[in-house]
Amino acid sequence: MRPIETRYARSGDIRIAYQVIGQGSLDLVFVPGFISNLDLHWEDEGYSRLLKRLASFSRLILFDKRGTGLSDRVDAHALPSLEARMDDVRAVMDAAGSGRAAILGASEGAPMAMLFAATQPERVRSLVLYGGYANFHRWVMSRERLEDFIETAETAWGSGATLQNFAPGRVDDPHFAEWWGRFERLSASPTAAVALARMNAGIDVCGVLASIAVPTMVMYRRNDARVDPAASRYLARKISGARLVEVPGRDHPIWTGDVDRIADNIEEFLTGARAVPDIERVLAALLVTRITDTAKLGDRMWSERAQRFQQTWRLLVSRHGGRISGLHGDTMLSRFEGPARAIRCAAALCDAANDIGIASAQGIHVGEIDVRGPPTGLTVRIAAQIADHAGRGDILASRLVADLAVGSGLHFADAGQLAPDELDQPLPLVRANSEQHLEPACRRDKPRANKPSALTLRENEVVALIADGMSNASIAAELRLSAHTVKRHVANILSKLDLPSRAAAAAFAVRHPGPDGP
Amino acid sequence: MLQTKDAVNSTTIRKAIEGRDGAMLSGFYADDAVVRVIDRNNPPSKPREIRGRASITTFWDDICSRAMSHKVESTVTEGDRLAFTEDCAYPDGTRVYCATVVELKNGRIARQTVVQAWDE
Repeated sequence: MRPIETRYARSGDIRIAYQVIGQGSLDLVFVPGFISNLDLHWEDEGYSRLLKRLASFSRLILFDKRGTGLSDRVDAHALPSLEARMDDVRAVMDAAGSGRAAILGASEGAPMAMLFAATQPERVRSLVLYGGYANFHRWVMSRERLEDFIETAETAWGSGATLQNFAPGRVDDPHFAEWWGRFERLSASPTAAVALARMNAGIDVCGVLASIAVPTMVMYRRNDARVDPAASRYLARKISGARLVEVPGRDHPIWTGDVDRIADNIEEFLTGARAVPDIERVLAALLVTRITDTAKLGDRMWSERAQRFQQTWRLLVSRHGGRISGLHGDTMLSRFEGPARAIRCAAALCDAANDIGIASAQGIHVGEIDVRGPPTGLTVRIAAQIADHAGRGDILASRLVADLAVGSGLHFADAGQLAPDELDQPLPLVRANSEQHLEPACRRDKPRANKPSALTLRENEVVALIADGMSNASIAAELRLSAHTVKRHVANILSKLDLPSRAAAAAFAVRHPGPDGP
Repeated sequence: MLQTKDAVNSTTIRKAIEGRDGAMLSGFYADDAVVRVIDRNNPPSKPREIRGRASITTFWDDICSRAMSHKVESTVTEGDRLAFTEDCAYPDGTRVYCATVVELKNGRIARQTVVQAWDE
């Protein structure tokens, strides 16, 4: 597939950037809210998922309003009226060869979409409004709150500071918060942002609602943090025959939260058919990683280290072929196609936590999850309970994980049982060793070596220090080696002696004292 | 409806498609007709199905509202079956190629299968 092409439509003297994706029989124009940037949208998981879903049944036409994103900049001190900006929709439709389209107006895009539907009904097949409003001050912000918002924009535009106004539920997600900062910077300059905010504050389209005669759906999130849900109820009352749809959630941007539910509703409204339900379920290995140590480190240092760990977590999960599936405070969820990958990733995360200086505890479980959306349900809850059960530095997994990983060369030791309320029977657990054999494929062909003579001199030194209860870091300091080298020695020791864990190696050293004693 | 009186043959189909005449096209179908579309988003095991004349009318209205060109290239008729290929282009240059087979029943289209590929 070629990359999505950005083209430019001419609206008067202004160039409007637009993109067209999808092969559906109906045209759907997305009128974005406050600010947008066509290129950046595809870098956010939720945004790109929403757009792909919409493009699966339509020819989706996206654009950046004048003054924002990739479109021409305009004089920030003389921003055009809503009517002039609305004409950009027509210009983009003309350029894309769209005679009649469904219009999706989100947030500040909704008043523009309503005005377009009221004034150019022959170009509008149907109208979908999300998180919209007819009057800014009545349903979005009072004059005082607007001044606070503008003050924030004046002083901190580009830092992501406005995120709390739009998606308070994502403020603790550093990855998203960073994206939001880029979203601000790449969508509008500080002066333009303030001017846009002031111009949006003047929006009042109450007078045109009665003239909207196209089929309309009004959708809103139940606890929307930015726009009062009463705004949508008002629109549904005033637009003849409008269908009102409430979806759960509080984050305002249409591309946050449960975007599948948003897309399902839009698809059903526009095509008359519900999206083919992906009731398909797939087997997946879920890894829940918990980090702790706040009390020991103090809040500030903890926060710095936790942030570092989360960055490393993203990197390691993707390096092991997994997918980031959720971040809730100090608990992280990732998903893998096979249990061995999840375990290897858990081992790498355990080491990373040690290096960063925080404690980790991890739980792995396999089970079926819905193909669509972030994993939810029993498999996730069990994996989380296993992680809760895991102690400092532990990688615990359900026995099933070990059974499925047979042949991977990974080693496990029994670790008792867990009795989740939701299961009839207790769940047998295993503990995975973070120091795994390095060449597992060859292991089964090797004769079992269980004598200290199978080890090199250095390995015998290392195993003796393990028996003394020393950590890898301490052994490294004692033997003047790098921690990495010690780790490799430990893995080789376990491989040569065919032992499952560090504890077993310690026991071995006690049973087989070397010439100098263990 | 006047359009329903148009006979369904390669000449009228070409005229309706190339003239982007949604009303004429909709008139070709039986009330319980089914149009199946197979493309990148709607694979053969899960084709998009448009059932009934009302939905098919909306389908053609949507397509015919686009300012694009359609050229019916070749047509083949065999008893109650008719096949044709179509070369289409959007103003921005994006091209779409379709191969279509229709099955007629009592002179109306009862079943149609469209396979389409887009520039992408």
